[in-house]
Amino acid sequence: MTTAQWIAVIVVVAIVASGLTYFLVPAKTVTQIVEKEVTPKIKAGWIYVGPIGDYGWTKAHDEGRLFCEKVFPWLETTYVESVAEGDCPRVIEDLIADGCTVIFTTSFGFMDPTLEMAKKHPDIIFWHCSGYKRYKNMGTYFSEFYQLYYLNGLMAGALTKTNKIGYVAAHTIPEVVRHINAFAIGVKEVNPDAKVYVRVIHAWYDPTKAREAAEALIAEGCDVLAFTEDSPTVIEVGQEYTEKGQQIYTFSHYSPMEDYGPDSCVSGQIAHWEVIYADILAKVYSGYYTTTNLENIDYWWMLRQGACELGGKEGELINPKFVDELKAVKVTDKITGEEMSVYDLVMLRLKQMSEDVPTFDPFTGPLYDNKGVLRARPGERLGHDELWTMQWWFESVVGPELGG
Amino acid sequence: MNSTLIISVLRSAIRAGTPLLYATVGEIYAERSGVMNLGVEGMMIMGAVSGYAMGIITGNPWIAIFLAGVVGALMALVHSVLSINFRVNQVVSGLALTMFGLGLSSLAGAKYIGVPKRASLTTVKIPVLSKIPLIGEVFFNQDPMVYVSFILIPVLWFILFKTKVGIIIRSVGENPAAADALGVKIYLVRHLCTIFGGFMAGLAGAYLSVVYTPAWVENMTAGRGWIAVALTIFSLWSPIRAMLGAYLFGGVEAVQFNLQAYGIPPDVLGMMPYLLTILVMVFGAEERIRKRLGAPSALGIPYVRGEK
Repeated sequence: MTTAQWIAVIVVVAIVASGLTYFLVPAKTVTQIVEKEVTPKIKAGWIYVGPIGDYGWTKAHDEGRLFCEKVFPWLETTYVESVAEGDCPRVIEDLIADGCTVIFTTSFGFMDPTLEMAKKHPDIIFWHCSGYKRYKNMGTYFSEFYQLYYLNGLMAGALTKTNKIGYVAAHTIPEVVRHINAFAIGVKEVNPDAKVYVRVIHAWYDPTKAREAAEALIAEGCDVLAFTEDSPTVIEVGQEYTEKGQQIYTFSHYSPMEDYGPDSCVSGQIAHWEVIYADILAKVYSGYYTTTNLENIDYWWMLRQGACELGGKEGELINPKFVDELKAVKVTDKITGEEMSVYDLVMLRLKQMSEDVPTFDPFTGPLYDNKGVLRARPGERLGHDELWTMQWWFESVVGPELGG
Repeated sequence: MNSTLIISVLRSAIRAGTPLLYATVGEIYAERSGVMNLGVEGMMIMGAVSGYAMGIITGNPWIAIFLAGVVGALMALVHSVLSINFRVNQVVSGLALTMFGLGLSSLAGAKYIGVPKRASLTTVKIPVLSKIPLIGEVFFNQDPMVYVSFILIPVLWFILFKTKVGIIIRSVGENPAAADALGVKIYLVRHLCTIFGGFMAGLAGAYLSVVYTPAWVENMTAGRGWIAVALTIFSLWSPIRAMLGAYLFGGVEAVQFNLQAYGIPPDVLGMMPYLLTILVMVFGAEERIRKRLGAPSALGIPYVRGEK
């Protein structure tokens, strides 16, 4: 190599290095509280499956973590985001080495690694979200949305003009199937002719696929969209079409997304993980929860515990833009036979489901699946296990083949 | 099957095919000059993150897309120096850049995840032309980058096949020794073509993050760079045929959600673009077939003056 060539190489490397350095991000700093007095402290670690910036599932969990940090002076928190399921055990070890005595793993796919680690570390307390395996030192928790999806369904059924409602689904695990079924049950109660069309995108967080699926559904005639995906993309698509003159109604998911679609987003579901996290951490701190008594602790919190909220925006149950439309549609209450507007029905059901012993549950029979099989007898309410393992579609749902 | 659905699917096919098209035509130029650039995926993803970042910083989508192209070009410069000047195995060098690009983009993009877009390009209906039934709504109701490709790609075809510049490029890829004897600067031509290929890959990535989605998501190119490499073979190294190939692959990607309605398992549909890619690669990668298909004879072979 001649000198000239060496110089050329060095210049090239220098340009590339300086150009690329512009984009390098400084290492993440971990949130910590610095305490002045010496008080017994608890350090809790959260493991997230996605990025906090997803504005969906992971962000909602992080909001819960931040709330606890603010409210409990004895609490120190840390988190790791975008952890692949295979990396979970290693990350748990890192958190334990970092001093965490309480660990929250926030994805269904972390279930088995968490159990494995719980057995390996009997002195650490583990909490797994959205799973069903527990151990002496591993409890489970979940904020269950099916009541909210049912309420969203009531609104969707009333607002659709084409009787075609689209659902962009991340995966078809029982949790998502349960939500879609609750949504469809709500739709049918108000609009027996409407159907719910499910498209699967195989990713919890993928704005590109979510957009493609949403556009495909709209192209097929759907004018209402709901979804399980961790970004506001479907709402943005709805807003874009609405701005161009084609009204698409959307329902927000997990985090308040109404601002992404002020003319499209009708309502939605908002998670309040902080309610569960605060309860858990307070009980751990007070010694009520130990490393040996968690085997039967399963938080399955819903409306009445305040673990979830109806709406696309905090404090706003229904987008004011659509309230009049909902008040104009009349429906008959299937239980009492009373005639009322859909708006009033939504409010009534919300109240009924928020009571200490809910006087209404969407999964009350008779319920048929989309193959004609009776899944719940008249008057029978589906129990926890049936809801947890649900792998069948409600009769008005058009979706891909499921496990069973 | 009503016409709204058909129009929507075709429109989506063009939109989904546009990033593939930009990357493929860039790679066509690189391969026509004899350099195989397998770093397209890495350059595309770096283009995506740079484009999105620049969009947030400058607020101007065109500057963002252009700068993303520059980033892709710089990466391609690394590849060209390694493979042309240092005669590193081109496959290895390209793959290394792909992995580097994927990793660096995740690192650089971490702070942009979830940050709402500041600059994007919306669909622009071309007056008069967009009123033509079917064709108008499919082709002339798109965003500006699609329109740019409608003009740019035929121009690039013209340059490659109808001008002296094109002959020079193709001769360097077919028989560099002969071209060298005629005074063509082999290294310079290969460098420029490879860098151009990287620039186009960067543009393709930026299109994904600034216009198509628009958002930044880790690994958002999802293997489109590899599809582009396959498309260069599929298109028989011609930009116009690349258009057909890109829109075909784009269509397969776009229509998967519509086909779910017919009971085809979503998992199978999701595989379609990549299955098609594998088929093309398996069929087209064999040396014999490549020669028959008209692959540049000196593709992937480093040139050293005096060596046989």
